[in-house]
Amino acid sequence: MNILGISAHYHDSAAALVIDGIPFCAVQEERLSRHKGDAAFPLLAIEWCLEHAGLEPDALDAVVFYERPMLKFDRILTCALRAFPHSWRTFPKAMKNTLGEKVWMRGIISSRLGIPGKKVLFTEHHQSHAAATFLTAPTSCAAILTADGVGEWATLSIGRGEQNANGATEISLLREIRFPHSLGMLYSTFTAYLGFRVNEDEYKVMGLAGYGRPTMVDKVRQMIHRTSDGGFSLDLDYFEYHTTARRSYSERFIDLFGPPRDPYTPIDLKTADGARFADCAASIQQVLGDTLVEIAQSLHQETALPDLCLGGGVALNGVANARILAESGFERLFVPPAPGDAGCALGAALYADRIYFGNPHREIADHPFWGPSIDGNDLARIAQEDGHLVDQLDDRLLIDQIADDLASGRIVGWMDGALEFGPRALGHRSILAAPHAIETRDQLNREIKFREEFRPFAPVAPIEAADKYFELTPGGKRLSRFMSGVFPVRPEWRSRLQAITHIDGTARLQSLERVMAPRLYSLLEAYGQRTGIPVLLNTSFNLAGEPIVNRVAEGYSTFLRSGIDVLVAGQTRVTKRSSVRRKEEARA
Amino acid sequence: MRSGRLYARATTFDRLLKPVHSWIWGNVERRVQKLLRFSEIEIDGGRDILRAAELTSDPVLRRLYLEHAIDEFRHGLMFRQRAGSVLRELPLRSNRMFQLDWPAPGGHGLDDLQIEKESDGSLLAFLHLSEKAAASRFTIYRDVMQHDPPTRAIFAEILNDERFHMNYTLTHLVRVAPERHRRHLWRARLSRLWKGYLRLATALASAIGTLILTIQYFTVLPPFAWFAKRAARRESPGWFPVSSERNGSLRRQY
Repeated sequence: MNILGISAHYHDSAAALVIDGIPFCAVQEERLSRHKGDAAFPLLAIEWCLEHAGLEPDALDAVVFYERPMLKFDRILTCALRAFPHSWRTFPKAMKNTLGEKVWMRGIISSRLGIPGKKVLFTEHHQSHAAATFLTAPTSCAAILTADGVGEWATLSIGRGEQNANGATEISLLREIRFPHSLGMLYSTFTAYLGFRVNEDEYKVMGLAGYGRPTMVDKVRQMIHRTSDGGFSLDLDYFEYHTTARRSYSERFIDLFGPPRDPYTPIDLKTADGARFADCAASIQQVLGDTLVEIAQSLHQETALPDLCLGGGVALNGVANARILAESGFERLFVPPAPGDAGCALGAALYADRIYFGNPHREIADHPFWGPSIDGNDLARIAQEDGHLVDQLDDRLLIDQIADDLASGRIVGWMDGALEFGPRALGHRSILAAPHAIETRDQLNREIKFREEFRPFAPVAPIEAADKYFELTPGGKRLSRFMSGVFPVRPEWRSRLQAITHIDGTARLQSLERVMAPRLYSLLEAYGQRTGIPVLLNTSFNLAGEPIVNRVAEGYSTFLRSGIDVLVAGQTRVTKRSSVRRKEEARA
Repeated sequence: MRSGRLYARATTFDRLLKPVHSWIWGNVERRVQKLLRFSEIEIDGGRDILRAAELTSDPVLRRLYLEHAIDEFRHGLMFRQRAGSVLRELPLRSNRMFQLDWPAPGGHGLDDLQIEKESDGSLLAFLHLSEKAAASRFTIYRDVMQHDPPTRAIFAEILNDERFHMNYTLTHLVRVAPERHRRHLWRARLSRLWKGYLRLATALASAIGTLILTIQYFTVLPPFAWFAKRAARRESPGWFPVSSERNGSLRRQY
């Protein structure tokens, strides 16, 4: 049975193909269109999935869209009505936006793919999140918690999933919090207030939080109230996202926290305003963590299950995830590599397969590498045409050479095998560097990633060695498999792991099993032999504002435009003939 | 044709519009909006040209496109930084900066270029005309920005780059399509006209749509709004149970 899952039209659209109950491939549209966070109908992703599988659209048994468009329209219209007459500016925009395309998904999918409308199915947004986390996790029975900005109406839901002895699978969502009360929107409101882009820069708030103290927790708590049934509600006087698209916080919010940050002025943490913004970030981070932990604790008491599957965009918050694991009572916490909306494409397809069609459970490979693959020969060809130094080595020699490069302080662009599905570079499209000196972090921020100085970098370590360098709570190795948790770096190693140790002494670790990325694992071993520490700095292979590279040509152009010293794709290693060709030379 | 032969010069049409441009750039808020819009366009354009660099099989064009893309990204950053500086100079921030659906200005980014479907010849022709149009417009902008030397300096610097872009695109268009470069240029001109019409038509349709929907909002919606508000008041905050039915059928869209 061939089932295609699609997510689109909010942010980060994607397609995923499930064949006979097993994910065959999945890719985000942005990786192919090269538009970061591309929310357009994922035609390129769909075409690639079908081509990769050698299928024509009519071979699809079902195409599943990741949410119910009319239910979402119902929410948008209802919110406009509730906000009358303040929503008069938003209403025409919202209607044009929704009625122009978004509500006609059955027809659009049917016409774009040339399949009958009856093959098009719809899951609910949080069902898709739930399926994406539960059906890909190596567990047979787990509690489920999903949280994001908003789906149709739900913003947070809890439930449970179970694989029965007869192979049937069940996912039941039990309760939900509805828009406009939303943890995701609360965090996004602070993201906007702190001058970052909503739905894209939430992780910057998390990074900034490390520099602050949670001195404004009481103020944040004025905006979010716990309800007697264990849920929560927001005091909507502090927000405007439910009435207007112009901004998400109200004047009352500004009265409480002071003037918002100007997005065009860099944050200077030495100034009073910079410290205030950092404290603000620390405070919302604290409240988000507290609320999630309390909800998870109550879910644990209710279900008495050892495993929790967490999904939705909020599950990208590694600091909160680590707290849930440590404080909620669950023994294991599963967060998929793509917990956000892109992952819903896979979740929707798996939900249809297991729940709607009732197909039996199948083991799913526990890795994120579902995208297009690279060919090192392509890199050799274009680099030779441009006169750069090209080596094509066998694997052993290549690993040794790259380990030498890294040990001598070179920065390496690393492309290997199939592209990751999800926002994290987990070893197939990564920029790697030595993790020891703070200067490496600064160089990466300044010359390669072109981003704010307060942003931390993540480490990757062999799973067997992770405990030695990081204080992992029980279950931490699993949570760090896809870089989903933030853990303290052991104090005795912080001085030798400066580039990956955040200001608060933590790091967003990826603990790597050999089977998941064997070449990167070998590289870690080889690097460990040279330096005594088998840990590398691992950051996504992209420049600021661009999607992670997919093909060799994209890695190559990123290599040329940045301070990356060495580029590796497959068996090919390229070093620059010189720095990027000087403009005068090119113009001559 | 050789590079260095073309110079940035304002077209008659742009010169006629000079008073309009003076009026637009004279207001600080409008200036910030324009600078931010230009920043987006340059970055969009840079992304498209970078894509061209990644896709072309011509090594010379690959290097030139890459340089061109880097220039565009730099221009985007310059515009953005300048907008930030102007914003900081404002004594009181206005929240009412106009955000209507104006026709998007012509530029490579917003012309919805599908790089994958373009040949090197057609892309070079398109880029040449875009750069030429931008150079013409930027010449006027530079001239009307007497009251704002830093912004004027940005336009002057970008104009230098635009001249280089105009020249290399034409030189290499002649190289890659010696017999057909004029045809490529004419097709690119027609395509720009068509896209200009589409932008205008879309903006007009959007404005009409906004007007009709706003009228409906105030005439049709009030009674429904009353019911919706009443229903909202009756809703208790906290958890909502999820009925088991909702875990079932995938056929419905609601």
